Order: sequence, then structure tokens, then C-alpha cells
Amino acid sequence: MSTETAGGERESRRSGPLIRVTRWMENLSDTTYAYLLLTPVFVLLGSIAIYPLLRTFEMSLFAQTFTGLGEFVGPGNYVDLFTGNMDRYLPGQPTFLPQSYGVQGLVTSALTMTLLFAFVSVFFETIIGMGQALILDQDFYGRRWIRAAIIIPWAVPVVIQGMMFYLMFQPSIGFLTPPLADLGLLAPTNTLNDPASATFVIIVADIWKTSAFMALLILAGLQSIDRGLYDVAKVAGASKWQQFKHITFPLILPTIAVAVLFRSVAAMRVYGIIDIVSSCTVVPSLSCMVVESFFSGFNAAAGTIAFTTAAIIGLVVMSLILWQGEEAI
Amino acid sequence: MATIDDADEPDGPLNRWVQRAIEDPERVYRALFYTAMVFFMVTTLFPFYWLLVLAVTPNSEIIGGGFIPEIELFGATVPFPLPVPQGFNPGAFVDVFREIPFHLYMLNSFALAVTTTIIVLVVASLAGYVFGRLEFPGRAVLMLAILAVSYFPPAAFVVPLYDVFAGNAVNIPFTDVALFQSIELLNTPGSMVLPFSALFMPLSIFILTTFYGQIPDGLEDAARVEGTTRLGALFRVIMPLSAPGVATAAVLTFISVYNEYFFSSIMATSPQAGNWSPLVGGILSYQTQYTTSFNLMAAASVVGVLPMLILVVVAQERIVSGLTSGALKE
Repeated sequence: MSTETAGGERESRRSGPLIRVTRWMENLSDTTYAYLLLTPVFVLLGSIAIYPLLRTFEMSLFAQTFTGLGEFVGPGNYVDLFTGNMDRYLPGQPTFLPQSYGVQGLVTSALTMTLLFAFVSVFFETIIGMGQALILDQDFYGRRWIRAAIIIPWAVPVVIQGMMFYLMFQPSIGFLTPPLADLGLLAPTNTLNDPASATFVIIVADIWKTSAFMALLILAGLQSIDRGLYDVAKVAGASKWQQFKHITFPLILPTIAVAVLFRSVAAMRVYGIIDIVSSCTVVPSLSCMVVESFFSGFNAAAGTIAFTTAAIIGLVVMSLILWQGEEAI
Repeated sequence: MATIDDADEPDGPLNRWVQRAIEDPERVYRALFYTAMVFFMVTTLFPFYWLLVLAVTPNSEIIGGGFIPEIELFGATVPFPLPVPQGFNPGAFVDVFREIPFHLYMLNSFALAVTTTIIVLVVASLAGYVFGRLEFPGRAVLMLAILAVSYFPPAAFVVPLYDVFAGNAVNIPFTDVALFQSIELLNTPGSMVLPFSALFMPLSIFILTTFYGQIPDGLEDAARVEGTTRLGALFRVIMPLSAPGVATAAVLTFISVYNEYFFSSIMATSPQAGNWSPLVGGILSYQTQYTTSFNLMAAASVVGVLPMLILVVVAQERIVSGLTSGALKE
């Protein structure tokens, strides 16, 4: 604050390096500049995704003992996981592979429960999403509000979605449990601690939340269909059903296929809804097993399951990308 | 005479409707359309109604159920088709804040969501600019890498991340060489904002790539001729011109963070507002070892979901366009 010249000098000195950096950046080639701008993204993804993934893999190569990490065993843990020797490090009753092929066996095995959950919920989400999309594709008064109402479940936080279904099926308060128990779909008492019943509730909760997401993807496919095709069909005397069967369905089939596969991959990550509605020791999704065995101190077991999950998902995504090729981008 | 009448005009409303439906199939489709619409409305909105019913029912009345009253209808006793509250206690919405500082949990959620959104917008803008406007070797491979990373399950990252955030050393994988000692991040915003940013960045990158790619080159060139720097052109010309895309990315990131469960529940080691525990910790705090306040759980859920309801109604167009343009790639 002494004199104006001193202030001016400080000003120029402060901006000196900035000007130099700017000038350096202006003179970079396009390629170098591109890589420079991508640095933050890859530093972030590298440290939050790639580094932990490699460490997870590293952890999975050491023997699991009840006291901690043992010596290097290479792929031994994966052999143990698929032969059932790893099951004793899993919390509660669940196993990794199914012990029997009945409903009870399937839902108490981490691998089949996760696959079953993904398959059943995505199947119903696709059908319901298709119905919702067909409705939203029409022109009618109040469409905006109906669309908002259909999207809302997608925007509900997982913890609140879990609360809704916990409070609906908790046997001492939920009014839905007795009638469904009469039908034999749910266990009448201790419903949410029964693996099969809890899996049912979790699938219903996921269908409720995610159908809207499928609906929006399918709607995008519907709206890209050339409306002229329907005019032609009408002139040719096709009924609404025939129009759907011969125009709409074949044209949105590719969209649906891609949406279904990507949704299944996302569904295999299920964790939160299980943690709230039931418990990870009752409904053993793969993510659940990772978290539970980690908090029991079994890092090698956690790492092995985590990397197996990542490998399964990675294989699906890779094959999808190969199948879709450049269109995926 | 009477018999002929019967044949032409079937009696009973159902028969008449069927007769007309056969003559005009359009009516069937319209009926199907409205039935399906009502069905979807009911199934979608019912869980919200159920939360409201439980929230205004005093906690002592909740256990034991009886939410479906029997009513007299034409002499027969039938169950009423909708659950109704047992009593009326709007005070639960005040108790929600009195029992635990629920507003602090919500503020935590907002703070985490806003911080993540800002970081994602800045970093994804740089990447969106590069992928949308520059041609360079390795473009397709790098985009595929981002796509692939976005699909890995958070469970595959959580164990080493937790270790590092707990203040342990960061080792070069497969060696014992420590790179540096991490500062303890558990129970701070950092332990959540960092994974959130990485998790939700890819969707924003794909949305912004699409939008930034559509701005004509001439506009950027004009800005550069006027003397803007390369980065200046991105943040002063391209970003404002793509305002709808930026808003879409912002809204989707905000909603995703607010709704996230996995890292939100793990990275705050105890569900206390002081530990930066967000909404998740708040709602689960109404269940303690000794009491379970079902009515407060429901009331807190209603309060917690309100910001999302408002956001969906206000930003509907952005959400739809964002999900449909970005999600298939994401």
C-alpha cells in the first residue's frame, strides 16, 4: 500500500508465471493439449478406481487366515472361493456357490442370488418400462405431470426407497405381508429375515425404482421411429397391435437389448436396498459379501470376491463393447 | 318384438360396452391406455402415500397394523382398498428435527452434492471439450476406458480406498514400496466427495461431450481471434452456449450424490451429523437399540424425499434428455 508503482510491480510479478503458463498452453499441439486437459480426469479415475482395483487384486493373492493376511498363494483364493473353502469367511449362513438348486439354495448363495436378482428385476423392469414408455409416447392432456410421476421413483434416494419397502413388508406393521403370505409368496412371520421372502421384497423394490429408467430409455427409442411408417400402416389397414408387432417392436429391439444388458450390469451391484430392507447376512449379494467380510477383518476374502465381481462385470461390459463397437461411444 | 330388441341392444352396461368395442376397436385401446395409466400412477405413488399414512399415525398405534379398515358396502363387510392413518399426529414432522438434528444430515447431503457437482462439472468440462472438439490419437480408446471404469462395482474399490482414507500408506500395487502417507479422510467430506466424483463423472463427460461437440467451430474461433485463451474459450464461450447440457449434467450429478448409499454409509464410520454422515445416517438413526420410531422414520423419509420431488417436477426436461442421451452410453 506504499506507492502505486510498488503495487503495480507486485501485480506484474504475480501474473508473471500465469502469463508464462498461458503462453505455453497456447503453443501446445492439439494432441498435447488434449492429453493435458484429460489429466485431471485420469488422475481422479486412476486414484479412485484403477489404484484400488489393482490393490484389491493384490490383496486377493494372499492367503486368508482368521488372524489376517497370510503368505502369497497366487490364485489359491479363487480356487477356494469356487470350491467352497472360502465360505467360512463369509458372514452368517450364505455360501458363494449354491448348495442346492431349490429357491432356498439359490438365494443363500452370493453368486446365484446376485444373478437371479439382476435377471428377474431387469426382466420385469423391461416389461413395465415398455408399458410406461408406450403411455408416455402418446399425446394427451397432462402428459407432463404423468411423466413426472413416472420418473419420481428413479429420483428417490436408496435409503428412502428401502424405508418404504421395509415399512410396507415389516410383518408387524406392513399390511402387505399377510395377504402375500396367504398366497405363499412370503413367509408369514420374520418375513424380512427369511432369505427367499427378503429377496422377493428387494426385487419388488428395485422394480418399483428402476422401471422408470428403462421407460425413459425405451421412450427415446420409440421417439426416434419415423412416424410416417404408422401412416403407411394405417392406410394399409393394420390394427394397433399389428402396428406394434411389425413396426414398433422390431425398431426398438436394439435399444432394448443394449438397455437390458447395461441395466443388468448395474443391477449386479445391488447393496443399499438389501442393507436397509433386510440384512447382508440374510440376502448375500456379491457387494454385500465384500463389505461384510471386509468389516469382519477378512481382507483377502473381501478382495477375492470383489475382484471376482469386477471380473464378471468386466467380461459382460467388454463383450458388449466389442459387440456394439464404435456405436457404444 | 322384445326378442329382436334384445338381440340388437344387449342389456347390461358391460354387454353394451363389449358390443360397441367390437364395432370400434379404438375404444379397447383407449380403455387399455387409461387402465394402464391409472395402474402405473397408483403403483408409482402408493409408497409415498404409505409413508404419509405412517408419519401421521402415532408410533404407539403403528405396531399391530389394522391400517385396512373394514367397511360396510351394500350390506357386506369388505376391506377398504386403501390404508388409512390410525389417528392424526402431524407433530411427527416436528419431532423428526427434535429427536436428532435431521436438518444437519440434510445439510451434509446438500454440501456433499454441491461440492461433487462443482468438481464434476469443471473436470468433465475439460474432458467433454477434448472428446467433443479435438481430434487426437487414442480418443476412442480413452473414451472406452472411461466407459469401462464407470461400470466397475464400487465394491471392487472400497477396501483399498477405506484403508487409504483411514490414513494408511499408499503403496505401489504389488510391492511394499510406500508412495506417501495419506491423511485421514474418514468422517470428512473428502472421503465421500472423491469416490462420488469418480463414480458420477463418466455420465457427465458423455453428456458434455455431446453438447460441446455441437457448438460451431466459428464461435470458438471468433472468441480466440478476440484474444481469449484456449481455456477462456471453453469456460466463457462453449460452456455458456451449452447451458442446457451443463444444467443436465449438474442436475443428474446432484440427484445421484443425494441418492447414493454405498459410500455414504461406509465412509462415515458412525451415523453422526458431526462425522459428515448424510441423509442415510439421519434416517437410520431413528432406530436405536432400545426404540424404533416407525412414525419418525416415515416422516424423515417424507422430508428427505421432498427436495427430489421438487427437482423432478422443475427439472423434468433436463433429466429426461440427460438420461436418454447419456445413459445408454453410461
